[in-house]
Amino acid sequence: MSDAKMITLTIEGRQVQVAEGTSILEAAKAAGVLVPHYCYHPGLPVAGVCRMCLVEVEKAPKLAPACATAVAEGQVVHVHSGKALEARKGVLEFLLINHPLDCPICDQAGECELQDYTFAEGRSEGRLVEPKRFNPVEDFGGDVLYVPNRCILCTRCVRFMDDVAQEPVLNVSERGDRAVIGKFEGQDLTHPWSGNVVDLCPVGALLSKDFLNKARAWELDRTASVCPNCTQGCNMMVETRDNMVVRLRPRPNDDVNKYFMCDYGRLNYRWMNRSDRLEAPLVRRGDRLAVAEWEAALVAAAKALDGKRVHAVVSPSLSNEALYLVSRLLERREGTGAFRVERGPEAPLPGVEDLALRSDRAANVHGAELLGFRRSDTPMAGLRGGDALLFVDADPGVLDVTDLGRAASVVVIGTTLPEVLRGADVVLPIANMVEEEGTFTNLRGRVQRFLQARAAPGMARPSWWVLGDLLGTMGEPGNYFLASDVFTALAGARAEFAGMSYDTLGLRGLPVMSPAGAR
Amino acid sequence: MAIGVKVVARPIEQVSYMRATLKGMALTFKHLVNPHKVTTQYPEEKEPISRRWRGTHRMLTDETGKAKCVACGLCPQICPANCIKLVPGEDEEGNRYPLVYEIDEFRCIFCGYCQEVCPEEAIHVGRHYENAEYSRAGFVYDLERLTAQTHPVCEMWDPDDPKGE
Repeated sequence: MSDAKMITLTIEGRQVQVAEGTSILEAAKAAGVLVPHYCYHPGLPVAGVCRMCLVEVEKAPKLAPACATAVAEGQVVHVHSGKALEARKGVLEFLLINHPLDCPICDQAGECELQDYTFAEGRSEGRLVEPKRFNPVEDFGGDVLYVPNRCILCTRCVRFMDDVAQEPVLNVSERGDRAVIGKFEGQDLTHPWSGNVVDLCPVGALLSKDFLNKARAWELDRTASVCPNCTQGCNMMVETRDNMVVRLRPRPNDDVNKYFMCDYGRLNYRWMNRSDRLEAPLVRRGDRLAVAEWEAALVAAAKALDGKRVHAVVSPSLSNEALYLVSRLLERREGTGAFRVERGPEAPLPGVEDLALRSDRAANVHGAELLGFRRSDTPMAGLRGGDALLFVDADPGVLDVTDLGRAASVVVIGTTLPEVLRGADVVLPIANMVEEEGTFTNLRGRVQRFLQARAAPGMARPSWWVLGDLLGTMGEPGNYFLASDVFTALAGARAEFAGMSYDTLGLRGLPVMSPAGAR
Repeated sequence: MAIGVKVVARPIEQVSYMRATLKGMALTFKHLVNPHKVTTQYPEEKEPISRRWRGTHRMLTDETGKAKCVACGLCPQICPANCIKLVPGEDEEGNRYPLVYEIDEFRCIFCGYCQEVCPEEAIHVGRHYENAEYSRAGFVYDLERLTAQTHPVCEMWDPDDPKGE
């Protein structure tokens, strides 16, 4: 990058310096000017079919497509000149010839690029008197529905399947004004990453069946987060409506997932909204669990763990902050910690280097290992007779009743209370991953932040808060008011995380230190 | 401590009540023989109301009797009083349709924006004013109630000059 020749040009009166070979469109982005475009997408090969990005270049004989024209030294580009605007107005009029005016029932309304650019640059009235072309809605398989009437044939979906997923299923069928996106005979959009075509589609032609008619774009609250479904740690946006997660979408990060997210992660969000959650701390009174105040419950939990060796079974999807506090607790009680990882088939996205749905289906396997937890298929094996069991939101599938009999006391910290754990001594409710702040460490050792997207139910508290208070009740010095306080403590205590803070992580994350001290 | 008050004698035509009484009685008898009515015999009689009157809502239906609403979400978005509750979903044929559509008429300020913004000409403010209910809950109109109403609806503009030319 550094040895590439730099080129200086002027876009809309602003001078920018970009590397040789950059397109005018990308250079304009660097100058803070948006060139309207449909077929261009930074994650896909350039096609130059939509003609929407036409700009005026001084001394050039005709308008140039900004996405497919490389910058040249001393070029002067006008994006909003009369000639360019007139050309784009014409392009928009052609695009709208067959595009139905069904924005009120279209899921893309509010985040539709055709809507935006027509509003910004298009004609206020149509001049077409002929009837519009009509094609019925088609099911593309997977999670994707195709509405051909709304399609503007930008071919982003075709290029994604050809070059990124490398499973050519889509094509442009027919010719001229009859052209539509078609599937090859007998094939369906079943590739595990095919859901991305819905995000790539600039209009409402490709829709998610899961999200269909559920909410309007302007009603959604968007929160930056990290996908908790595998160790890849794709950056994502959690979109909520009325405190319910309704959709997950990829958030661009060049170092992790580019612009993409797999269907498994995208659609596996219903557990975030589950309603059978623990809402209040519970403490054993005789043969039943009774609701208690937080202070009383924390004292009871500290007492249950007191004087015994502690064995912790944790979830590998807990944040670094929570796992660090558990590890501090274990150091204090000379205990051991273990976790089990759910596994599934790996599904790579061939067009992007080092991007796949990983077979380890938990977000923080690497972080848990760094913090001293042992990965095991039988995490309960480490529980010796007379130990106290600390069960932190792990999969109840690892348990059976005979295991529990060996424990002198059982403290459960979790989002739900599984049937086998009804015999616990103390139960502390925590928020799930979208209800709290924290960080995950992905399989390449990248520490990434996720933010709170919805409110936790009832009296449930974030896991770092509960564990921090529990440590305090057990007599450990240190008091945490924010997740960032816990992370700062973690960065101070562990060499791998040295020098990190929420500020330096930002929303794109940083890799952990290698043992040699390099990032 | 008497205060010296000077009493001024007034002319008899100024202090006599006879003149005013006769004037008043003259008006009374005039109305008796030539009555000028101002009282409307409500509820037997009703005053005509403006074509642009904005009263409680009504949802218009298509020819099959189904609400025209497509749950686009514009009316809850534009509503300044936040009185419209809409949960979008699908009907039996898979078309976009409101699963829940409720208007809290107590909260409504009758601005008519919902009617103006509606792309399907479905929700309308009504041209009527008889809204009494026995319970407060009765003022939250659901979709069934909104479609069942039959009163005339507001014309937001003059129908003889719809574009305001």
